[in-house]
Amino acid sequence: MEQLLQHLVNGLVLGGTYALLGIGLTLIFGLMSVVNFAHGEFYTLGAYAAFAVLALAGWPFFAALAAAIAAGAVLGALCERTLLRPLRGESIDTVMLVMIGLWIAMQNTELLVWGGVARSIPHPFPTEPLTLGPLNIAPLRLFVVGAAAALIAAAWLLIQRTRLGTAMRATFQDRDTAALMGVPIGRIHTITFAFGSALAAAAGALLGPVFLAYPSMGDLASLKAFSVVILGGLGNLAGATLGGLLLGVAEELGAGYVSSGYRDAVGFVAIILVLLFRPAGLFARAERIG
Amino acid sequence: MLKRAVASCLVLFLAVTAVPTAGDAQAPIKIGVIQPLSGPVAASGSYVRMGAEIARDWINARGGVNGRKIELVIEDNKSDPKEAASAAEKLIVRDKVPAIMGAWGSSMTLAAMPKLEEYGVPMVVETSSAASVTRRGNPWVFRISPPSEMEALGLAQYVDKLGVKKADFLAVNTDWGRGAIQAFGDMLKKRGVQVGAAEYMEQAATDMNAQITKIKGTGGDTLFLATAVEQITLVLKQGQEQRLQRKVITTGGSSSPTQLIKQAGAAAEGSYHIVFFMPWFPEAMPDGKLAKAFVDEWNKRGHPFEGLTEGFRGHDGIATIVEAVKLAGKDEPKAIRDALWKVSFTGVNGPIKFEKDGPAGKESGQSKPSIFVVQVRDGKVALPDFLKK
Amino acid sequence: MIGRALVVASALALVTAPAWLASPYHLHVLIMAGVFAILALSLNLLLGYTGQLSLGHAAFFGIGAYTSALLALKLEWSFWLALPSAAVAAGLAGWAIGRLALKLRGAYFVLVTISFAGVISLVSINWMELTNGPLGLPGVPPPELGPWSLRTKTAYYYLVLAAAALAYLVCHRLVYSRIGRALVALRENEPLAESVGIDGTRYLVLAAVVSAALAGVAGSLYAHYTRFVSPEVFLFTYTVTMVIMVIAGGKGTLVGPVVGALLFTALPEALREAMAWQWQMLAYGVVLVVLVFFLPRGIVPAITARAARAAAGSRAMRPGAAPR
Repeated sequence: MEQLLQHLVNGLVLGGTYALLGIGLTLIFGLMSVVNFAHGEFYTLGAYAAFAVLALAGWPFFAALAAAIAAGAVLGALCERTLLRPLRGESIDTVMLVMIGLWIAMQNTELLVWGGVARSIPHPFPTEPLTLGPLNIAPLRLFVVGAAAALIAAAWLLIQRTRLGTAMRATFQDRDTAALMGVPIGRIHTITFAFGSALAAAAGALLGPVFLAYPSMGDLASLKAFSVVILGGLGNLAGATLGGLLLGVAEELGAGYVSSGYRDAVGFVAIILVLLFRPAGLFARAERIG
Repeated sequence: MLKRAVASCLVLFLAVTAVPTAGDAQAPIKIGVIQPLSGPVAASGSYVRMGAEIARDWINARGGVNGRKIELVIEDNKSDPKEAASAAEKLIVRDKVPAIMGAWGSSMTLAAMPKLEEYGVPMVVETSSAASVTRRGNPWVFRISPPSEMEALGLAQYVDKLGVKKADFLAVNTDWGRGAIQAFGDMLKKRGVQVGAAEYMEQAATDMNAQITKIKGTGGDTLFLATAVEQITLVLKQGQEQRLQRKVITTGGSSSPTQLIKQAGAAAEGSYHIVFFMPWFPEAMPDGKLAKAFVDEWNKRGHPFEGLTEGFRGHDGIATIVEAVKLAGKDEPKAIRDALWKVSFTGVNGPIKFEKDGPAGKESGQSKPSIFVVQVRDGKVALPDFLKK
Repeated sequence: MIGRALVVASALALVTAPAWLASPYHLHVLIMAGVFAILALSLNLLLGYTGQLSLGHAAFFGIGAYTSALLALKLEWSFWLALPSAAVAAGLAGWAIGRLALKLRGAYFVLVTISFAGVISLVSINWMELTNGPLGLPGVPPPELGPWSLRTKTAYYYLVLAAAALAYLVCHRLVYSRIGRALVALRENEPLAESVGIDGTRYLVLAAVVSAALAGVAGSLYAHYTRFVSPEVFLFTYTVTMVIMVIAGGKGTLVGPVVGALLFTALPEALREAMAWQWQMLAYGVVLVVLVFFLPRGIVPAITARAARAAAGSRAMRPGAAPR
C-alpha cells in the first residue's frame, strides 16, 4: 500500500514536469500549427543556460531561471523571424522539415559547445528528502512542481485575461479578421513562438538540476511533450496540464506494477487506448481551435 | 529577401566548415577509430578518442612505428549500428586503413564485424562487453576489454568480504546491462547469494523512482548497478530521496567515481565500483610508471579527470595496434592480424596478450584485462578495506 | 521530352552503376539509398497521397527486418520466403494501425503511430526469448539464388535495384488507379469525398497495409545486407530520415521520394568525407534548412514547375497561342 502511495507521488511529480513541457508546445503546435520538433532543444537550451549562469557565473538560482526564460524567448523570437516567417504560406510539412533541421542543428551545436559530458546543475535546496510517513519527496522536486504550477497559471492568465492573449487567440482563430481589426499578425506570431519556447526553456532550467544537462536531453522531452499536447487537445492549456499528470502517473504505475523494462510502453498503450475511445483527445469539448 | 539573406548565410557557413580532412605528405600509417561521438554516450566516446590521441602523440614523439608516423582517422558511429557499419566500410575502402579500433557499444561492434570479414581488416575492440563479440567466429576481432563473465569472475573473490547476502539488480536496458545482470547473477548464485529483483531502465531514462520503490521492497542488502555514470548519478540521488539503504556496487567500468562524487555528492558515499583503471592511485596499476604518465598527460591537456576511467581504453587500443604493426613490419591488414596473436606488452590497464575464444578454426582474440574494485569514502576514492594489505 | 531523356539516362546510370562507380564504398551507399528509397516510397503513400503522417514508420521497417532475420536464422527459411513473410508481417501491423486509427486523423493519427512504434520498439528490447533483446541478431544469412550466394555487393545491389523498381511500380499502379484517385480525393477534402460514397477508413487502411508491407520489404533487404538486426532499427531517427526524404524530395510525387532517398543517403556520407566529425551533423541540419528555404515544395515539384513554366513560356511565344 505504501508502495502505491509513493508511486502515486512519484507519478504526480513526474507528471508535473511533463505538463510543463506540454504547455509551451500546445501554444506552438496547437495554436500556430507548427510541428516544432525543436521544442526539446529549447528545453535543453534552458538547462544549459541555467548551468552557465549557476555553475560558471555563480549567480543565484532565480537569476538562472530568469536567464533561461530570457534565452528561450530571444532565440525563439529569432527563429520565428528568420525561419518561420519567410515560410508563412507553406504547408505544415515544409515547416516541419525546417524545424527538424533546426533540431539537428541546435543539438549538434550544443554538443560542440558543451561537449558530450553531462553537467550537474547546482541548486540551493537541501538534498535530505522530506518524509511524510512512508512517503519521501525531495525539496527540489516540490519546488519544481510548485514552479511549474505557477508558470502554468501565469500562462493561462496571459492567454485568457490580457489583451495580448486575446490578440493571440484572435490571430489563430481567424487571421484575416484579426488583421482587419488591427492586430499585428507578424508580431503576434513572433511573441507566441517566443512565449512557448520560453516556457520550454523554463522547464529545462527547473528540471536540469533534478536530472542532469546533456545535449540529447531534449529528444525524450519533445516526444513526451507532443504526446501530452495531443492527448490534452491542441491549444488547450488545462488539457496539457492534466494530460501531463495522467501520463506521469500511468508511466510510474506501469513501471512499478507491470515491468520497468516496459515502462514507456505503458504510457504508449495508455495513449492508444485514450485515443481509441476519445479520438479528439481527452478534453475534446474544450478544444479551442478546430 | 530575408529568406535569401538567411539562406545565403547558411550556405556560407557550410562552405567555411567544409574543410577537407588533413592529408599528410609523407605516408603515415592510418589507424581507423570508430566511436560514438554524438548521441547519449557521446561523453564516453569522446574520452576514448582523447586517450587514443595521447597514444598517437606519444608514439609519434618517439619516432612513430617502423619509421613512419601514425595518423588516426576518426569516425562517429552516432550510437547507431548502421552508421558503425558505414563508418567501417568508409575507413576500409576510402581511407584504406589497415586496422581499426572500435566501436564502443556491443551492437555497434557487432554491426561492423561483417565488414571486417568482408575486406579482411582486423579490429581491436576496446569497450564492448557482450560475449558474442568474440564468440561469433570472426577471426579479425581482438578484444582488450573484459566480457561481463570475466568481470563477474573478477568480483567473485570479494563477494564474501563485501558481505553480499541478497542482491538486487538495476541495469540499463542494452546488451551490456542485460549481459551484466546475466553474468553477475550467475556468479552470485554459484556462491549461494540470493538474487532479488532485476529491474531495467531505458538508456535515455532519467526518472528511476518506480524501480527504486520496487527495489526497496525486496529486503535485499546490495544493489548492483550496471549503467553509465549519468544514470548512476540519478539512481543514487533518487535513491537518497527515497531513503534507499543499500550497499551499491557498480559494474562495467563506466561509473567514473570522480564524476559521481561531484554530481551525486553524499549520495555516492560508501559505494563500490568495479573499474579497469585507477587514476587516483596509478602507481598501484601493473605498470605504475606508464599509468602515472598517462594521468599526467591527460591532466596536462585539460581533459576532465573523470574521463580517465574510460580514456585509457583508447590508449591501450591504439598501443595494441601499433605493437602489432611493429611486429608485422608492415601496415598490411593480414600481417597485422597475424601479428596481433603475437602481441604481448603492458598497457595502462595491464598485460595485453590474446587468447583464443570462439568456435575452432575461426577464433577471435580475447585478452585478460586487470579488474579492480574501489570505494567512495569521505568524498574521495579509496581502496576498500578488504583490499588494503 | 527532356524529362523522358533524364529518366532514361538515370535508369541507365543506375543499371550500370557497379561498372562506373569509383569504389565498393559508393556501391554500399547506393544499396542503402535503394533500401531507403523503398522506405520513402512507402511513407509517401501515406503522407503524400492520403495526407496522413505516420511518424511510426520505422516500426514497419523493423518488423520486416526482425521477421526476415528470425525466419532465416531460427527456422532456416530461404531469403525468398523470408522476404514476402516480412512484407506480410509488416502489412498485418499496418492493418492493425489502420483499424486502430479508424476515426483518427491529423495529429491524433500521428500520435497513435508514434505510440505504436514505441510499443513495438520496447517489445523488441524486452522480449529476449524472441528477439534476443538489445544483444541483437547477428549472422543473418545472405540470400542465395540456386548455387550462387548473393553475398557480393554487386549482386546485392541488383537485388535492391530490382526491389526498388518493383516498389515504384506498385506505387505507380496504385496511385494511378481508382484507388489512388480515391486517396487523393480523401486527402483534398474528406467530407466531400465521403459524400460521394468513398469510404475513408477503408482506403486509409488499404494505404496503410500497402505502405507497411513495402516498408517490411525494405526491412528484410536491410537485414540480409547488414546481416545484423538490433532494436536500433526502431530508432526515431530512421523515421525522421524517411520523413525528410519524402518531404524534401517532394511528397505526393512518385519520383520525389526516390530523389530524396538518394540525396539524403549520400549527404551524410559526403559530409563524412568533407568535414571533421564535429561538424557533420550540424552541417546536415543546415543543409536541410537551406534546402527547404530554396525548394519549399520539394526538389521534384520545383523541377517540374520550372519545366512547366519553360514549356508554357515557349508555347506563349508561338503566334496564335491561346493565353492560359
